[in-house]
Amino acid sequence: MTASATSSPSASSASPGGGARLPLREFGRTAGLVLTIVLVMALFAIVSDGKFLQPDNLLGMLRYMSTLAIVGLGLTVVLVVGEIDLSFGAVYGFSGMITAVAWISWGWNVGIAIGFAFLCAIVVGIFNGFFTTVTKIPSFIATLGSSILVFGFTLLVSGSGTYTPRQPGPGRTMNEQQVDWFYGLSNQNLPLGLPMGAIWMLGVALIFWYLLSKSLFGFRLKAIGGNPIAANFAHLPVRRYKLWAFVICAVAACLAGVLVFSFISTVQPDSGANLLFPTFAAVVIGGASLSGGRGTVIGTLLGCLLLAILNNGLALIAAGAFLQQIFIGAVTIGAVVLDQATQRWRRDA
Amino acid sequence: MTTAALPRGITITALTKRYGDTQALAGLDLAVLPGQILGIAGPNGAGKSTLVRILSGEATPDTGVITIDGRRWTARDGIDRVAVVHQEPQLFPNLTVADNLLVGREGSRLGWPHSRPADDEILQQVGLAGVRDHTVGSLPLAMQQRVEIARALVQRADVFLFDEPNSALTEHESAELFAQMRALADAGRCVMLVSHRLGELAAYAQRVVIIIDGRAQTELSGEEISEERIARELVVGRSGATETLRPGAVGGGEVILELTKWTERGGAFRDLDLRIHAGEVLAIVGVEGSGGRELVRSVAGFERADGQMMLAESGSSRSGDRVVYLTGDRSESLFDNLSVGENLYLRVVKRLTTRLGYLRRGQAETGAAQAKDEFLVKAASLSLPIRSLSGGNQQKVAIAAALTVAPHLFAVEEPTRGVDLGSKAEIYRLLREFCSRGSSVLMYCTEDSEVFDVADRVCVMADGRIADVLSVSDYGDAESLAEAIAGLAGSDLIPAAP
Repeated sequence: MTASATSSPSASSASPGGGARLPLREFGRTAGLVLTIVLVMALFAIVSDGKFLQPDNLLGMLRYMSTLAIVGLGLTVVLVVGEIDLSFGAVYGFSGMITAVAWISWGWNVGIAIGFAFLCAIVVGIFNGFFTTVTKIPSFIATLGSSILVFGFTLLVSGSGTYTPRQPGPGRTMNEQQVDWFYGLSNQNLPLGLPMGAIWMLGVALIFWYLLSKSLFGFRLKAIGGNPIAANFAHLPVRRYKLWAFVICAVAACLAGVLVFSFISTVQPDSGANLLFPTFAAVVIGGASLSGGRGTVIGTLLGCLLLAILNNGLALIAAGAFLQQIFIGAVTIGAVVLDQATQRWRRDA
Repeated sequence: MTTAALPRGITITALTKRYGDTQALAGLDLAVLPGQILGIAGPNGAGKSTLVRILSGEATPDTGVITIDGRRWTARDGIDRVAVVHQEPQLFPNLTVADNLLVGREGSRLGWPHSRPADDEILQQVGLAGVRDHTVGSLPLAMQQRVEIARALVQRADVFLFDEPNSALTEHESAELFAQMRALADAGRCVMLVSHRLGELAAYAQRVVIIIDGRAQTELSGEEISEERIARELVVGRSGATETLRPGAVGGGEVILELTKWTERGGAFRDLDLRIHAGEVLAIVGVEGSGGRELVRSVAGFERADGQMMLAESGSSRSGDRVVYLTGDRSESLFDNLSVGENLYLRVVKRLTTRLGYLRRGQAETGAAQAKDEFLVKAASLSLPIRSLSGGNQQKVAIAAALTVAPHLFAVEEPTRGVDLGSKAEIYRLLREFCSRGSSVLMYCTEDSEVFDVADRVCVMADGRIADVLSVSDYGDAESLAEAIAGLAGSDLIPAAP
């Protein structure tokens, strides 16, 4: 029978009769999200007298979305495997800062500084994974701890200062070539004025799509997140995969941190603090489940887009920061409630 | 048999309850009389736990009538008057014994509630006065169960349901628990004991009702009650007996697995010597706590054991694939978030992956489709959610997924738990087919009829040791086999009746 499962693809059809229910459900969710996005965009376009649809505005929105998406895709991987990561915001902040400090203060080559930032991120990922899988601390606690720890290191290395490569401070000169190269990472003249961030997002999304939907890794990740006990009994490498998930999440946060530093050309110690909740909101709106086993690249991308639209549109109609928060909170809860309600409805039907 | 003027106790008439496509209770009739211990026996899935859940008010019956002391029963009675003592006590481990008695009847809305003198009397009565101010979590299991009894007593419960209460207790602790039970019954309360340990039912119950397929099949009382008799009735009563699938004596084949001085680290079993031959189904039977379940798990590496384990070599399989394990609990073997097909190919996907990690889903689906046909899984599509299938078909998927690995040894617990009769017979046939290709099955069973239907030999465990290994073909019918097993499995576990 093994032989039949592995080596004779010729026999028997791959999809014997009946409807494709699970993929259909996934499609329904995606379609619902797209519809919501279209409606919200139309609403903002009308309320803002068309200002919302101005190219400059849309491009700015796309840039915000790309940061959110790169971090959010990393978070999606952790949620799919059934864990939680609260440290990616701190890693995001630390990565930009350590790149700046190593490059500007310590005088390292910028490439090496960036490499060092990624190395640090990997260490944080392993740290999270170790405490979650080996010492079996709930990941909520482990990553809350590492988040505070990493933020502490950020303050420590930066001396709680702000760094700008163009103004390295008295007595320091920067290598112009390196500065240009670094800014070039996220500032290029692209057709239609597309932000470089969008290209990075696209690349990252493709990699994550392959990882989550096409590879053995993604399949097992989903299984482990869906039922860790059964996964263990089936000899799946539960610990190793969880460790990988934390590392991937930290690396994605690091990439976003370095890119944003490159784009705005300055870095502050607390830049990661504002990223944590919007990212969670976006990923959850995108259909990832905090109880594990669910989450897709397309869902997370759409969730990030919706959040970027809300963020931008509400600012545009001068709703004020307070109302913006209230709105995004309500949408997050609404999305999850709606999702659960439709699932229940489908079960009963 | 009792014709008292006042209809005291509980009378249950034609009780039914359906969960999805399983008929848990199918017209159950039962009388529980005050002042005696009523024993309830039956195979897994016979409806015992559903009965417990209905009486305790956790579930509502579909149809049927329950009366208590002559009047109609309500769910409120279940909450107020019925106490369930579980094998896993349901208490507040972080609170003290005294505080546990107060939860739910604090009596004051402000301030920390105070314990009452009457509570201390009850603690005295159940022998917990000494640990009054200990947190419940720090007490041994036997004492926690007594806290449950005390909690019920302060709530003035007069119906006590003991649901496999002593599966994790020592002999001495069990004896004390039964003494408590006896005292409750003597005080005029209704006591029901649900147990797999037939010896205990025989020793302590005044009446024993055997529930099979959601009905009370037989009632034994007084002199009729004996361990062997209950075992026989359990087998006789099963419906639709399938013909045996054993191909006759299998012996002397290649040894697939040999255990020597096999000892579990936690002490669940000690110094076991056991051999399994190619092509045979070896059943392990024994009550919970006998070490049988742990033995099956240890062979698959999911319980730590010392000693020697020899596993037949093979050129094709890697060592991880030589033994495949399946739990009896489908919530621990199936992946709810995956489809039928994904559940089927989950264990073999590694073989279908390119070096770049690309999973060939098409090939996997093809293999899954074949497995689905071969294992007679009834599903309209492979992409349906696994939980949309019936229990029997879910179990067939779980077994198919394990066997597609083509292990030498399939270690499985209760392969037909919660499965309908048709699927049961099919699963037995699939297990025999698997063995006919030179592999073996080691299965932990809780039903004697299952042993007779599918196993070649049966290893009876008692108290962490092998009581005996019987050859099933020496027994002409399932009943005589059941009697022999009952004689071996229970004997040294049962403390003398008080």
